[in-house]
Amino acid sequence: MKVLGYAALILLLVPLQVVLVDRISLFDIRPDLALVAVCLIGLYRGEMDALLAGIAMGFAQDLFSGGGQWSNLCLKPILGLIAGLASRNLVNLTWLFAFGLILCLSVLSGTVMYLLKAYTGPGASFFLAARGIILPQACYDALVGLALFKLLQRGRASRTPQSALSYE
Amino acid sequence: MISLQSIAGGKRAVLLLLVFLAVALLLLPESRQESLMVIGRPMAAVIAVPLRVMEAANQKIDTTVNRYLALQQWREENRALRQHIAHLQEENARLRETAVAATRLHDLLELQEQLPYPTVAAQVIGRDPTNWYRSLVINKGRKNGLAADMGVVTPAGAVGRIVKAYDRFAIVLLLNDLNNAVTGLVQRTRDEGIVEGTEKGLAQIKYLPLLSTVKVGDQVVTSGLAGGFPRGLPIGTITKIERREAELFLSAEIAPDADFTKIEEVLVITAPRESAQLPANPFSFQPAAPVKPAGEPR
Repeated sequence: MKVLGYAALILLLVPLQVVLVDRISLFDIRPDLALVAVCLIGLYRGEMDALLAGIAMGFAQDLFSGGGQWSNLCLKPILGLIAGLASRNLVNLTWLFAFGLILCLSVLSGTVMYLLKAYTGPGASFFLAARGIILPQACYDALVGLALFKLLQRGRASRTPQSALSYE
Repeated sequence: MISLQSIAGGKRAVLLLLVFLAVALLLLPESRQESLMVIGRPMAAVIAVPLRVMEAANQKIDTTVNRYLALQQWREENRALRQHIAHLQEENARLRETAVAATRLHDLLELQEQLPYPTVAAQVIGRDPTNWYRSLVINKGRKNGLAADMGVVTPAGAVGRIVKAYDRFAIVLLLNDLNNAVTGLVQRTRDEGIVEGTEKGLAQIKYLPLLSTVKVGDQVVTSGLAGGFPRGLPIGTITKIERREAELFLSAEIAPDADFTKIEEVLVITAPRESAQLPANPFSFQPAAPVKPAGEPR
């Protein structure tokens, strides 16, 4: 069942990113839904699930990208792994932590992407890339991640039965 | 004291008297009846006041009722008309969209008919999933005869080249992407260079000869030397020339003729070398009249 869920997520997410996300682009910046999904999988399901989902999503993303390198295939599982490891010792998964983690991982992903591009081809200036792509995309990713995090939490709360020891 | 019986008797007498008077009046000749109008006219005048008031009230009621009934009818009619307007607006929008699409497709078909190379028309179905590359996803692929490095054009000019071709779709790297490079030619001066994308989403032509007489407003076209483009496809217009000290070449910024953000249909040139010559300007752009660089040093 879990495998089917991941398969459906991968099959839907990348086409969604390619076809529809252009409609919600702000100043020509689109959120990286695969990155957000991998981070959330890492936070909720652990590093192994996030790693495998990251491989599949990164690969699918690279298939549709104009870039020649398999940068997403390498990056997404690493981001999932970091998200999974970061959530391992958490007592409480708060929205602030999820927001901050997705923001940081998106900045990290953007910086690595910039370095890969600069290394393999004609590179733009880092300042322009940071101002034009890395930081706006990180903020957008974090906001989308936060919205999805809240939705997931609400969904989980409605499914979890209230116990007698519950403080809430 | 008058007894009750006597009152009843008095009443009866009055009644009888009145009946008698009424009968007498009826029996009177018509000319005599006229005399009754002496009392009748003032009385009619008095009665006419409340009559007029009542008539006015009746009119008001009538008008109000009619208006209410009409309003009910109008409301229904209004609702029906609003629905009709909404339907017409929807249809209008659809027809406008169809008209715009028809114009676009007509231009594309015209270009396809005029281009002396085999081309495949394709629809843009998506954009790059990352913010790092400027590319399009088109709905034709290897099964339609497409392959990597084929040139992609629109009625406005060259837009990019295929970098990945799958069975049913292909990825087109746009000319304004930093990683794209096609050979270009300044149409007026015939200077050749490499056209690449810039960080700002424009394009630039690099490696122009230092003594080139290129100027702002010159048209840049594909040179046809390498890549999937034949010679002479419009790329853009030079907007800025950069002459740097101690550099062996010139470079110039180009404003692409095609608006890369609004591409919906494209033509993929599947064999750019089948015919050597382009017909006279099959593209929608109108290049400036060529000026001969008479006597200018090169």
